[in-house]
Amino acid sequence: MVPHLSNEEFFTSLADLLSKTSQKARGSVFLSQKPLIDGVSNAPPSILIRATDGNTNAPNPKSESKDGKITKKASSKDKIKFSTVVNASDLEAFYTRYADICKAGMTGLKKRDRSKRKAKGKGGATKAAKA
Amino acid sequence: MPYLPTSQAFLEQSAQLLEAYPDTTRITTKYHFPTETPGARAKRSKSQAKKATTSSPDTQPASTQTQSAPVAALTLKTYNPTTGIVLQYQTNKIAEVSRLITSLGKLAAGADVASLGLSGAGVGGDVEMVDAPPVEENVATAPVVSGKGQGQGQQGQGGKGKKKGGKGKR
Repeated sequence: MVPHLSNEEFFTSLADLLSKTSQKARGSVFLSQKPLIDGVSNAPPSILIRATDGNTNAPNPKSESKDGKITKKASSKDKIKFSTVVNASDLEAFYTRYADICKAGMTGLKKRDRSKRKAKGKGGATKAAKA
Repeated sequence: MPYLPTSQAFLEQSAQLLEAYPDTTRITTKYHFPTETPGARAKRSKSQAKKATTSSPDTQPASTQTQSAPVAALTLKTYNPTTGIVLQYQTNKIAEVSRLITSLGKLAAGADVASLGLSGAGVGGDVEMVDAPPVEENVATAPVVSGKGQGQGQQGQGGKGKKKGGKGKR
């Protein structure tokens, strides 16, 4: 098992993974969050955040060779996965940066449609001011 | 496993689920590109190239390069393995990402439904918030219907406004 990264390392790895996926325009990035509960203290739990590209290191059962052994192809890429633990007190700061990095990295999503807004005029101006 | 119609509904129901099962519920965010067969890819790039040439013939090579990528999607999933409850929400708009992730942070910090609703009022819009509390009760049983209900509510409000205006003029 790979030890948890620090929050800062996690951000750089995540930005890297997101930009690579967006560049290839292929594949996925899975991010999951869950509380780490030790069952002893009543303090608000730390949050465990995991990121992976959804690949697997397990050999493909279809590529089984004749003698019954499963051989892993050398060309198959290794699974990317990393995780970090966020203290309850750091949550807000962490998620602000987390949101920024996701927004910057997920370039495959639809951009904001500016043309419609310009046509609207007034409404567009107030919305832009809010954002 | 329902896809919820609005991010607001997703966040509210996720908050309820987290409240009920705080230690086993997890939230997954998936950023993914659609899987395409080679044929579908060729078709899409062809049609986009056509569009590019008609709209801006000068910048064709650059625009086909950027546009040839398929549109990715972001799926949020709140899952509780013990009860088997799954809540999902999918979007493909970059504009929503920032708000969604910060909301996830609030959920992680143990925010309840009420505090999420308040935060939504600041970002989202006043009209939605007026409708949200009554709708949210229905949501627990039938999320699909609730989407329609919200739409009707907004329409109804619009209608009222028009009627009032008419009376005033007469």
